[in-house]
Amino acid sequence: MSIPPQNTISSVEEQLLKPLSHYGPVTSLKVFQNYVLAGYGPILKVFEVVNNETQLISSQQLFKRNKIHHICISQSGDKVCISGSRSFRVLSLVDTLNNTPSLEEKAINEWITCCEFLDDNTLLILNSHNTVYTVDVSSKASQFILSDKVHCNEKSILYSGSIRLLDDGRVLIAAGTVMNGVIIWDYLTKRIIYNFTEHEGSIFGVQIDSTGKFMISCSDDRSVKLYDLQNGKILANGWGHGSRIWNLRFFKDQSNGLRIMSTGEDCTIRLWRYEPGHDLIQVELLENAHLGKHIWSGDIDDEHLKLFVSGGADGKVRVHDLIGRNNVQEFSLETISAKIGKEFHTKENIKQYSELPHLNLLIIITSHGSIIQYNQLSNEFTLLELTPEESAKFYDFSIMKSLCEINVILIACRNGDILQLRFEGNATQPQRSWIEESQLGNSKLTNLLVASSNSSHYSLTDCPNTKVPFILRKYSDSGVETSFLQQPQQTSFTTTDMTIDSTNSWLILGSRYVSLAIYDISNESDQVTIFKKLSQGDTITSVSIVRSQKNLLTVLLTVRDGVYLYVNISKIDGEFQYEIIHENKLSRGFIEGGFVQNNQLILYGFKSSYFYLWNESKQIEIYNEICGGAHRQWEFFRQDFNSKFIYINKSTLCIKTFNARFVKDFGVINPGTHGREIRSVCISPEAKNGSRLILTASEDTTVKLGKLHSNGSVESYWSLNHHVSGMQTIKFFNQTYAASSAANEEFFIWKFSELDAIPIVIEYSRLKPSADIPDLRIMDFDAFEYENGFIITTVYSDSTIKVWYFDISEKRFFLIIEDRYTTCCILNVNFLFLNNRVLLQIGATDGHLSIWDITNKVATGGEVKSLDEMIIKQQLHQNGIKAILPVKQAGSYEIITGGDDNALILSTLAFDQEKLKLEVKSFIEKAASSTITSISSSGDAKFLVTSVDQIVRCWSYKNYELSCESARYTTIADTGCSDSVIDDGQVILAIGGAGLSTWKLA
Amino acid sequence: MGKSSKDKRDIYYRRAKEEGWRARSAFKLLQLNEEFQIFKGVKRVVDLCAAPGSWSQVLSRELFQNQKQEDAKIVAVDLQPMTPIDGVTCIQADITHPKTLHKILDTFGGEPADFVCSDGAPDVTGLHDLDEYIQAQLILSALQLTTCILKPGGTFVAKIFRGRDIDLLYSQLSYLFERVVCAKPRSSRGTSLEAFIVCLGYKPSKNWEPKLELNKSTEEFFEGAGIGKSDNLEHLDFPVDEGRTIGTFLATGDLNDVDSDATYRPGKERELVPVQMPTAPPYKKALEMKRRGDLVRR
Ligand SMILES: C[S@@+](CC[C@H](N)C(=O)[O-])C[C@H]1O[C@@H](n2cnc3c(N)ncnc32)[C@H](O)[C@@H]1O
Repeated sequence: MSIPPQNTISSVEEQLLKPLSHYGPVTSLKVFQNYVLAGYGPILKVFEVVNNETQLISSQQLFKRNKIHHICISQSGDKVCISGSRSFRVLSLVDTLNNTPSLEEKAINEWITCCEFLDDNTLLILNSHNTVYTVDVSSKASQFILSDKVHCNEKSILYSGSIRLLDDGRVLIAAGTVMNGVIIWDYLTKRIIYNFTEHEGSIFGVQIDSTGKFMISCSDDRSVKLYDLQNGKILANGWGHGSRIWNLRFFKDQSNGLRIMSTGEDCTIRLWRYEPGHDLIQVELLENAHLGKHIWSGDIDDEHLKLFVSGGADGKVRVHDLIGRNNVQEFSLETISAKIGKEFHTKENIKQYSELPHLNLLIIITSHGSIIQYNQLSNEFTLLELTPEESAKFYDFSIMKSLCEINVILIACRNGDILQLRFEGNATQPQRSWIEESQLGNSKLTNLLVASSNSSHYSLTDCPNTKVPFILRKYSDSGVETSFLQQPQQTSFTTTDMTIDSTNSWLILGSRYVSLAIYDISNESDQVTIFKKLSQGDTITSVSIVRSQKNLLTVLLTVRDGVYLYVNISKIDGEFQYEIIHENKLSRGFIEGGFVQNNQLILYGFKSSYFYLWNESKQIEIYNEICGGAHRQWEFFRQDFNSKFIYINKSTLCIKTFNARFVKDFGVINPGTHGREIRSVCISPEAKNGSRLILTASEDTTVKLGKLHSNGSVESYWSLNHHVSGMQTIKFFNQTYAASSAANEEFFIWKFSELDAIPIVIEYSRLKPSADIPDLRIMDFDAFEYENGFIITTVYSDSTIKVWYFDISEKRFFLIIEDRYTTCCILNVNFLFLNNRVLLQIGATDGHLSIWDITNKVATGGEVKSLDEMIIKQQLHQNGIKAILPVKQAGSYEIITGGDDNALILSTLAFDQEKLKLEVKSFIEKAASSTITSISSSGDAKFLVTSVDQIVRCWSYKNYELSCESARYTTIADTGCSDSVIDDGQVILAIGGAGLSTWKLA
Repeated sequence: MGKSSKDKRDIYYRRAKEEGWRARSAFKLLQLNEEFQIFKGVKRVVDLCAAPGSWSQVLSRELFQNQKQEDAKIVAVDLQPMTPIDGVTCIQADITHPKTLHKILDTFGGEPADFVCSDGAPDVTGLHDLDEYIQAQLILSALQLTTCILKPGGTFVAKIFRGRDIDLLYSQLSYLFERVVCAKPRSSRGTSLEAFIVCLGYKPSKNWEPKLELNKSTEEFFEGAGIGKSDNLEHLDFPVDEGRTIGTFLATGDLNDVDSDATYRPGKERELVPVQMPTAPPYKKALEMKRRGDLVRR
């Protein structure tokens, strides 16, 4: 029998292609002693947890190709086994921690479902056909011996499984099958104990608890099921997951109650409680714990570290505190009444409250003017002494604000009078003083705003009569200074938030319709400046300072319906000017406020019935609290990394306290990328301080902006949510502008700048779709600088080709050429420049490369023209040309094309007299074993190619002869796009797909 | 792997409705046949993973109506129930289970089949390696049956996803067939990794007798089949020498045929005529030789 020809280009000179960084699905997690072990594709990462701090202590690629789906540790704690696909590897724990892995990668002949050590020398491997291999792993020289193959006579295919060693010596196998439910069998007797068939569909996770009394399983049917292994009865179902469930763990609560953790496709982590006689009770739901889809892995340690970990398709590993959760105190008015020994009026309710975090005090005022102080350390409630007349002033109306730094509480009444309460460290009663308001006349106070800047503390009184100025008060130990600010002369300027910048003495007020009012308070005669409708949206919910320099202030504005902006404010020739330098939209409900902390943007607000605190920079929810829907009464207070969300629910005061246990990056111990496949990647043309910008566009329609550092690590800064349709392409035009295209004719131009070394971005302009109901995909585009903007071409899924002039200052697109190719989908487009001509080149699904001369049509406007006859139409590939790289040479181009047909072609393009000629120079029919998806330049007569067979190849073409210089497996599945840059002769390649990886070409 | 979101606006979807096919997949089989004449001389067929049944419809129409073979036999198997089709025996079962394969063999009563096809695709999880493994299991199960029932010289066609280990599968199949081609019909979307492995001219292994046993996994079944699978169980070493072959790729169906990736605007067709007439594509010669089956293997 003849041996088929070998694939000689699956591994070639691998050392030339050096992987630098990798971000991708976290396929397994294990918490052991002080360590978190993470199977990060083929890489094993170990994090050490000491005193609530985590640190990466080792990271090693331990498998050549396969992913680590399971990690187990022997009972002695000496040995670790990682496994996945057909591979497994036995390591000593010490070596693993020290980054010096012993022994080599081993394999069986089938897919491994899971492994467990019987003892330090014996490993049990459950394969996907429900057979357990008993392997003697005692050999120090990797001479493992397969000593037994054990099965229970039922060999259905398994999607999941687990092995449990019990104290009585029994070894139970739980097998989660594709079609036949869960089979529990005994490894020693080979007997089937139970076959549970209550689930529908495939079983994706199954676990037996340490006592051997309980079993949990999850499946396609979105339920968690708990079984009693002593009598074979189903005990409870847990419903809640919105899609498939991937992973389950048992744990115990502090009172030894049975709990379950589940993670799934819906990107949630759920904690469940079992109470006999009931279905599983969901005690906590962590939504959006990761980005995109799928939390593949999780583990929990309820004894030692008291934490749980989760790992998603987004490549993040997160640790979560297990004990300090759900910290909510509740006080009804009756409880408070009993504690302070005062009867409340029947209709009396809590009106306002404020915190003085330095003193751990919460001050509360009721609708009838009772003021109560709650000491959160001693848990004591005290009633503050007020005369009946004083209390009466707050009847049904009060606004309470705190000046935390100086421990002052201000409470305003309807007529504008303000009660000032100064609290001292240990005195139970504050000093009281009244600030009487004489300015309001017949008007009523509608808002009291406070702001602190450096060591100055201010309040501002607002009333609806625009004739009455805003009353600004400055509080200090020596007393209160009052000044007046003319109100904006317009009816609808409702103040919502205030900030004061001490560097410039500017006061900024936020209002509705995304409007701002700015005052220079150093100059009394200065008029108010108003900026209206800075962006689309409704009310500015918060204004805060991001950066303050002499005559350049950057503020963060949050807008209730989800937009947030960074705005630069400066004064030029005595006039205030503004520029929006960063703008994005949150896709998760309403924003009530935000702030920048440690260079990270934190936002909070509401989504349906819950409050959330969200780290926008890290793209993680810090916590949420279900607090009910409409007519919310709430306050949010924060102190460093801790915060409180205090709300009234059914007239009960609820205090949710969040004390961050893992402060660094909010428990994200490994950064990640998109939670869905990356469809396009591009790197900025210039480097700054050794870093470039990197943009990635993913299947979930988000665009990520990050920095690609010279060591290959990618630091992610923003996730942009402007696109709503399937992403196609993203590319830089130059260092400042980039564009992205998607289905539904979405085409956006982005503009970049920097804020203290943090890249920031705005959507600069978008192309208006040609149809009311756009259904075309803009497959690709290209651009070159022209006059005051760019000439841009966009190509479409219905064979349309368009060329535009984009005017930068006008932010306008002018259509200059429109035509169609055939009826097939165009896949890519490039502008080429030869002999002073401008050529437009496309590649399409019909395998043809076509070129037009558009030199005479390039203009800044005028009539829309058609294309002339094409000057080249040449079939190169059997079907779709998936990737094209034009390489410019003097007087010619080298055109490299890669196809869906696995082929790679090198052609030259040049004018021969007046005739353009495309000449095929080299053709490699089998250049990959699957679709070629991208080609990136790597300098002189060399380029890099990715294909879905997950091999990255470097090809050279000296003397126009293509040859494969290097080929190496990439851990990124669904390998779909790449881009490269050359820095000081050093080629860095970024590859996108199911994850992101960076490489260096030696 | 499979995506259905674009189905509605897809022209093949509309055409399938018009022509009475239960699924747009029908065109994939028809386009494969156009290229490889796989229906020629075929009387007994196994259609694995057949629901909702458009391939069975195509086969039924071809064998009974076009070729007027009254004694033709078509057996269709799927996990899902299927609405009956004239002349097609439907079995609802899991093809990865040896019992199912026994049942199919019984239905044929010892007679060989001329053609085995499988259009099977599992529900994907999103874990690429696991999905590829399950897909490979479907193909190997189909191949298991094939080795037990296909007549020498017969044809085997199976859906594949061109992922990372497709070269392994290609190599293994090349031991059992005269010609193995990876074909992508024009009706299969360019954005999907789907393709079909067309295996022509079955040549049973001489030193190995396929034996379906209830307690053997696919892997155990192929032990000793000599199809280049590594035998690594002695010291469980990671196989470095497994046969990998890059398959020959053929895009099938006319290029002028409807493009499944395009958005269609009826009545807006236009053909831009090139100034210069194109030359033959670079792959043409190799392709023609391959079509004639002339390419000699190394
Ligand atoms: C793409 S559809 C087949 C379409 C079919 N060729 C037609 O033309 O109508 C894939 C089928 O594979 C089936 N399938 C997947 N796994 C299977 C298994 N293990 N046994 C039997 N059928 C299976 C699914 O039920 C599904 O109906």
